[in-house]
Amino acid sequence: MPEPLLIVRNLKTYFYTEDGVVKAVDGVDFEVYEGETLGIVGESGCGKSVTSLSIMRLLDEKGRIVDGEVIFRGKNLLELPEDEMRRIRGNEIAMIFQEPMVALNPVYTIGDQIIEAITLHQNVDEHEARKMAIDLLRKVGIPEPEKRIDEYPHQLSGGMRQRAMIAMALSCRPSLLIADEPTTALDVTIQAQILELMKELQKEYGMAIILITHDMGVIAETADRVVVMYAGKVVEYADVKTLFNDPKHPYTYGLLTSIPRLDIEQEKLKSIPGVVPDPLNFPSGCRFHPRCEFFEKGKCDVNEPELVEVEEGHKVRCYFWKKVDETKKMEAEKV
Amino acid sequence: MVEFLQTHDLGGDGLLTAYIIRRLLLLPLILFGVSLIIFSMMQVLGPDKLLAAYVNPNILDKATEEALEALKEKYGLNDPMIVRYTKWLRNVLKGDFGWSLVGKEPVKDAILERLPYTVELALYAIFPVVVVGIWLGVIAAVNRDRFLDHFIRIFAVVGWSFPDFVFGLLVLMIFYSMLNWLPPGNLSNWAEEVVRSPEFHRYTHLLTIDALLNGRLDVFWDALRHLIGPIMTLSWLWWAYLLRITRSSMLEVLNKEFVRTARAKGLPERVVINKHARRNALIPVTTVGGAMVINLFAGTVIVEMVFNRTGMGSFTASAALQLDYASIMASALFYSTILVLGNLIIDVLYATIDPRIRLG
Amino acid sequence: MRQETKRIFRRLFKNPSAILGFSLLIFFILVAIFAPLLAPPVNSFNPNMKLPDPYIMPVVSWKQDPIPPTTKKDVDPQKLGREPIRCIDYHPFGVIGGRDIFYGVVWGTRTAFKVGIIVTVVSTLIGITIGSISGYFGGWVDEILMRITDVFLSIPFLVAAIVLTTILGVGLDKVMIALIVFGWMGSARLIRGNILQVKEEQFVLAAKALGVRDVFIITKHILPNTIFPVVIQASMRMGSLVITAAALSFLGLGAPQGYADWGALLSYARDWMLEIGKHWYAIVYPGTAMVLFVLAWNLVGDALRDAFDPRLKG
Repeated sequence: MPEPLLIVRNLKTYFYTEDGVVKAVDGVDFEVYEGETLGIVGESGCGKSVTSLSIMRLLDEKGRIVDGEVIFRGKNLLELPEDEMRRIRGNEIAMIFQEPMVALNPVYTIGDQIIEAITLHQNVDEHEARKMAIDLLRKVGIPEPEKRIDEYPHQLSGGMRQRAMIAMALSCRPSLLIADEPTTALDVTIQAQILELMKELQKEYGMAIILITHDMGVIAETADRVVVMYAGKVVEYADVKTLFNDPKHPYTYGLLTSIPRLDIEQEKLKSIPGVVPDPLNFPSGCRFHPRCEFFEKGKCDVNEPELVEVEEGHKVRCYFWKKVDETKKMEAEKV
Repeated sequence: MVEFLQTHDLGGDGLLTAYIIRRLLLLPLILFGVSLIIFSMMQVLGPDKLLAAYVNPNILDKATEEALEALKEKYGLNDPMIVRYTKWLRNVLKGDFGWSLVGKEPVKDAILERLPYTVELALYAIFPVVVVGIWLGVIAAVNRDRFLDHFIRIFAVVGWSFPDFVFGLLVLMIFYSMLNWLPPGNLSNWAEEVVRSPEFHRYTHLLTIDALLNGRLDVFWDALRHLIGPIMTLSWLWWAYLLRITRSSMLEVLNKEFVRTARAKGLPERVVINKHARRNALIPVTTVGGAMVINLFAGTVIVEMVFNRTGMGSFTASAALQLDYASIMASALFYSTILVLGNLIIDVLYATIDPRIRLG
Repeated sequence: MRQETKRIFRRLFKNPSAILGFSLLIFFILVAIFAPLLAPPVNSFNPNMKLPDPYIMPVVSWKQDPIPPTTKKDVDPQKLGREPIRCIDYHPFGVIGGRDIFYGVVWGTRTAFKVGIIVTVVSTLIGITIGSISGYFGGWVDEILMRITDVFLSIPFLVAAIVLTTILGVGLDKVMIALIVFGWMGSARLIRGNILQVKEEQFVLAAKALGVRDVFIITKHILPNTIFPVVIQASMRMGSLVITAAALSFLGLGAPQGYADWGALLSYARDWMLEIGKHWYAIVYPGTAMVLFVLAWNLVGDALRDAFDPRLKG
């Protein structure tokens, strides 16, 4: 296995609010390899966005990275001085966000904003940058890019705005693209187009993608490997096929089985009972235990399980993953 | 922006030109409404008191009942309000506002004479208000909750709490009575004589500009010296207000997603603030800032009285004290026109700055 | 709801400027309440006689010139023949226009509260009524009411107040009327805007679907959700209202000469501008009272706004 492009080790990001300390990311580990897509999946509030913002060091005032390392091409990003970090942002690591309407500056044309990114990191003049911007717009599938480049964000449709965002992010050929819920705010049909586009560009540019989403369907479509997060922690970590066919964490299992299926008879739609825990007050022991169907008192609510590699490339944070295996076998036999 | 759209009906299509046309059409209507209100207010006085606007009060005192009635008939004060209003309006549109007791000349001349002084004062006052207010507002927002922010905000709150006439009195107390640096009035006596002499050409009627154009630097400095106190007083209240608006607008913008995107691109913080955030933050500030600049004009009433200056402001105040109804109505119309025109300009400016509105 | 109220209160009082604002306000309220004790409203020649109207400041000196501040110690009780009475025999803040400044400041506090509260409450009520009708019913009712509001807003506040007080005559009640007639527009616009937003919300549509009468919908559903910004705006207007009222009195258009009103008190200073450095107390004491009063209301208004809408504060 070649060296990973990005290694995240024991990342802890806390928010200091007036109501208390929110441990949004509490000890997260994963790796991203060149050219692959790592999916980070979890419900809202599990810390996946904060993880990506921590990598980019774009947290707002109340957030602080209290522990851990983020090693990109051998350098720990958390120790870099700010101006070196800025050279990496938008240049080697780029990020796109969920809602392009609010993520793009409404008072500047998309051309201005793309050209700004280009001229910031590359030594080209305005004229050259403009040509590059038009090419980029064409590449992301925006028709008539020479006209569109002088339009404002509100003049484009949702899908096109997201394409423009992607163009802006890719303008400096980053080796890593972090996409935070890039399709959540879009129509389902547009979603598919954008994901297709990202896959194409990934192949062409040879870049890695961290795709953050709460939608298991998107993960299935695009990810190579998957990190499942819950309450600020990684609870399962595997490649996508294994995750879908052989989930070992009760939470992952719950997520997958709650997807309604057309091919078998379902009398009741299954769902994970309970709600996401209050980040100011996580449950003791395993953070998922109040909602877990495999909960065992005395074990799960006392000590938090470690993230353990149960097969090659498959890690789980649970004492009773074997029980999940058994339940799966039983369900399979029923059918 | 939601607020803008709520208080300003852009009409069905939202196009800029349609908007401007609509506002221009509304303008005479609004002025018409204003004149109606002002005129109606005057009618509360009743025909007896209104007579004083036309006839020397001494004569009125000695007049008999029949004589008074005859006078009232003569000036049409017994006619129904509609008739009187239309007559008054027709005169106003012709430029005849009546006779000013304060100025002892036609109101129109009295106003035209005094207007340049007020314009000069207001124009100069705009700069410290806008520059200081916005500049400090951005600094306060960027340094939110740190010492600088608190200091600036306290400074601003105290500023906003200071009545302008109290501030003016204090300025006179310290800088005039105690230090003798900034005297009240428009000009010193000697400078007054220079200005009134035939060699001095009144190109713009603005003292400072005219002094420069006439090559009289001494008059220029004298005029400026007399302006500093009033400018400080006039701008005092308003830069504090502008600061608050800028700060809160800036804070809102700094929370927006596109600021995060700008940082994610790797832009230095300075560029993020000055290029991306500030431009957006200033959009709502222009409306409020604009309204506030217009209110500067109204503030001249107090400031000119405190500093004993000639101008529309002291004219209005004197007219009020002397019950010079013709002058008061004209003044009110004048101030309202400035406000309405100013608002229109601001709104058009706002619509042009924000591409979301300009390009619908 | 209780969690939210607790949080609001906590935010309210954690803020040092809020504490300052509330303290100042309480201080002024106490001064207003204890005015008769602090500045006895008695006849200056016959201290056993109470003044018929304590708001007309008693003349305590027939000298033209202002008198600098004096304390109790400056008075000889033997010579006087009685215990020195504050404001009559000694003048903590000095004398101007023949009237005791301390008396004016103390009783002026009551005037300030009276004017401020009455005008704010009445004009806000008018504004809420007009704004609610306009916002709720929409259509041509809204159009007309908003045009009327626009017209009223087209006359600068001070100028309008000057015109109206000129017409109505001298007197504090006339000033209050003028301020009310031209002071309701802000509340009207604000609540109209809020109503326009809330009107489309689900729970209102649900109530309509149930057939609830319009009046009830407005009072029970819409108003409670839109009232807070209006309250906050009203408290912030208090400050500028008091300033405008004082400005009118200062110019001679509001309270009559000799009335216990800070603006009227300051208007005396205008006669002495040449040597005003010597007579600093005539400006400083009433001026400080004004600034602190307005500051108190501004701080309180700020604190209320920050407490209810912490987005802007953080």
